Amino acid sequence: MAKRKASVILAALTALAVMTGCAGGTATNSGSQTPGNSTGSSTQTPAETPKEPFKITIMANLHTPEVPSDKIEKLLEEATNTQLEIQWVPDGTYDEKMNASFATGTLPMATYIKNQSSLIMMKDAIRNNQFWEIGPLLDQYPNLSKLNKDVLKNTSVDGKIYALYQERPLSRQGLIYRKDWADKLGIPAPTNTEELYNMLKAFKEQDPDGNNANDTIGLTDRNDLIYGAFKTVSSWFGTPNGWGEKDGQLLPEFMFPEYIETMDYIKRLHAEGLINQDFPVTSKNDQQNLLITGKAGAYIGSMADVVSLHNKIIEVNPNAVLDVQNKISGPDGEFGVWAIPGFGSVVLFPKSAVKTEDELKQILAFYDKLMSPELANLIYWGLKDEHYSLQDGRVLPIEDISITDREVKPYQALQIGGISTIDGFYDAVHALPAKAKAEELILDNNNYLIHDPTAALDSATYVQDGVRLNELIKDATYKYMLGNIDEKGFQDAINNWLKQGGQKIIDEFNASYQQAK
Amino acid sequence: MQDTAANNAVVVQPKLKKNTDLMRRILKNRALYLMILPGFLFFVIFKYIPMAGIVIAFQDYQPYLGFFNSPWVGWKHFERLFSDPMFFTILRNTLVLFFFNLAFYFPVPIILALMLNEVRREYFKRFVQTLVYIPHFMSWVIIVSISFVMLSMDRGIINELLVMMGFEKVNFLMSNEWFRPMYIMQVIWREAGWGTIIYLAAMAAIDPGLYEAARMDGANRLRQIWHITLPSIRSVIVVLLILKIGDVLELGFEHIYLLLNSMNREVAEIFDTYVYTAGLRQGQFSYSTAVGFFKSIVGLILVMGANWLAKKVGEEGIY
Repeated sequence: MAKRKASVILAALTALAVMTGCAGGTATNSGSQTPGNSTGSSTQTPAETPKEPFKITIMANLHTPEVPSDKIEKLLEEATNTQLEIQWVPDGTYDEKMNASFATGTLPMATYIKNQSSLIMMKDAIRNNQFWEIGPLLDQYPNLSKLNKDVLKNTSVDGKIYALYQERPLSRQGLIYRKDWADKLGIPAPTNTEELYNMLKAFKEQDPDGNNANDTIGLTDRNDLIYGAFKTVSSWFGTPNGWGEKDGQLLPEFMFPEYIETMDYIKRLHAEGLINQDFPVTSKNDQQNLLITGKAGAYIGSMADVVSLHNKIIEVNPNAVLDVQNKISGPDGEFGVWAIPGFGSVVLFPKSAVKTEDELKQILAFYDKLMSPELANLIYWGLKDEHYSLQDGRVLPIEDISITDREVKPYQALQIGGISTIDGFYDAVHALPAKAKAEELILDNNNYLIHDPTAALDSATYVQDGVRLNELIKDATYKYMLGNIDEKGFQDAINNWLKQGGQKIIDEFNASYQQAK
Repeated sequence: MQDTAANNAVVVQPKLKKNTDLMRRILKNRALYLMILPGFLFFVIFKYIPMAGIVIAFQDYQPYLGFFNSPWVGWKHFERLFSDPMFFTILRNTLVLFFFNLAFYFPVPIILALMLNEVRREYFKRFVQTLVYIPHFMSWVIIVSISFVMLSMDRGIINELLVMMGFEKVNFLMSNEWFRPMYIMQVIWREAGWGTIIYLAAMAAIDPGLYEAARMDGANRLRQIWHITLPSIRSVIVVLLILKIGDVLELGFEHIYLLLNSMNREVAEIFDTYVYTAGLRQGQFSYSTAVGFFKSIVGLILVMGANWLAKKVGEEGIY
């Protein structure tokens, strides 16, 4: 009986492998495409025209519920003389699928890696020569050579470049709040953490929705210390991003006093009921719903969320107005905001699927064309007059989101580079003033970034035990903020972290840091 | 089914001395052997062959090296498990939750079945029976989400009621004390009704003559339950108990993972959730396999112990 479970992991892997084999297979490219699409033909290199279309298999993450129609894909194939076989994997299970494909040796030729932490998990395999190094080849391609060297360095392993990256704004973090509430209570946009506190307090106590009931709270947060409010607030307090330097040595963020100050701040919000009481177990959906249904007045996270939040909130309350704010300084009067390493997803090229350097070059040629403004705009915005119109050289997407979701949006996941590396890539018109302001503030954030110094550094223990060890700190952080443990208890958790392998991580990162200097 | 057929087929044969004899027998009973073949192949292919994968618990398994080229490391992963400071917490949590299951969940379907069995009106009995086993068809996600909404500190209905009655709010979702009761209540909610089915079937098989005789002797309802119904289903209870023990460490990854959070990890982390965070999420296949292997061994020992005990007290056991 009990033996059943013993092999469950392997059985699961086998099952996944079978599914991997069956999935995909969208490519049924047969001859002539509809005429009248001049988008691509101009980018085609004459030398390659007579050749058979080159077949490329791709695994990419799908952010929409449905697999896209192949309209864009056909155009892309035509323009690049390739035959694309794209395996769409839902974003939620992407890492598991990728691990399983990797374990069974069935990764496709171009494998998208979801984000930085997934890339770190692959480091061992990269070192073991499982993926092609592409660094020396990039200069041969006019578009790929425009990729930002610093960002490429952040994706590198032991100084070698293996991945193409998808550009992401360095920091979208900020505050979204109910402007109509604030105006009614006569509160200006907060510029420091104390003003923010006062605003949240007023949102709770001064009946901002005017229904004579004490049924509102200030801030809505969720079970995520990084993309929720905590990490952003911590950078307002001046906490380093992940790791920081103290007396010439790299130390994790939670060993800095600013981290404790941040916890104290949230603890105060929690104790006074200014934040949802269940925030350590609140999902993103529930968190946003508190704002949408008018129960909470402030949201800290990606300022770009203001569009979707706005669309939903006016359905509930047409008079609601949202506004964004980025510069909120800490007690020392300084403002800072944490940054991601400049990339979102990256693409790796497994040697198990790409057999020869010649094949690799053909794939890189495909990606080079994908970075041309025509194709970059095609996969990001779709077709002119069908999915968007141009207004003063900026894109105005059509209003029916369901069409773009079905035909265009999934292909955005294939994008390489972005607006700062592709000349002629369209910017968007922002119909919503708050969104236009959010975009402006996201750019403004670039002047105050706090970078993670370990982005390009290396620690074997971190790869092996990092996730589990971080849970120790995560647990202790929540417990502290809820008042279950005091500063001594938190210190105990840090000691525990050090003892269980944290000290090794510190040593390894510092050794790697000294080397990189 | 096929397994039983296989056993019978083999058992009824007299002992054979020569291979030719065996071949002849097989040929003679080829229809029977053909019938067990699909089942036999199923178990070999999907249950036994994958079990060979346990070898990766003794390797530093690297997917690109495969089973054959990954380096052997002996007991390294087991040493890591036993020296992990979380090990005893996890073992304790797993065992405590298991005993909670036995003590609080296991009797519920029996009691429920006894009660349903005494219901006179057939349509009412069927109606209640259907109603109580419907939750079994809801996934844990739904059960946990409904509990979450009810138990939330932010306007959860239970906490609102407590406040109305003049009590303090209770943080059910994020406390060490409330995790186990909450867990067991959800298990009962979802599974108790479903569990009654087998007991009701066993009770239906009891000879009505026994009850008539008991009534003649003047036994009331409770006496009848105690002296007839319960002894009649005793062997079913024992078998189900052994099977339950077989699931000792199968507390349901999904259920616990949904309930687990930073505030109750000390009592809620069990082997399955630990394997997930420490192993699979970080791609440490070997370590996860070692942990799973250890868990299975504990389960095997408990089943064999329970079976031995059952035979000691004169019951049939499961093998």
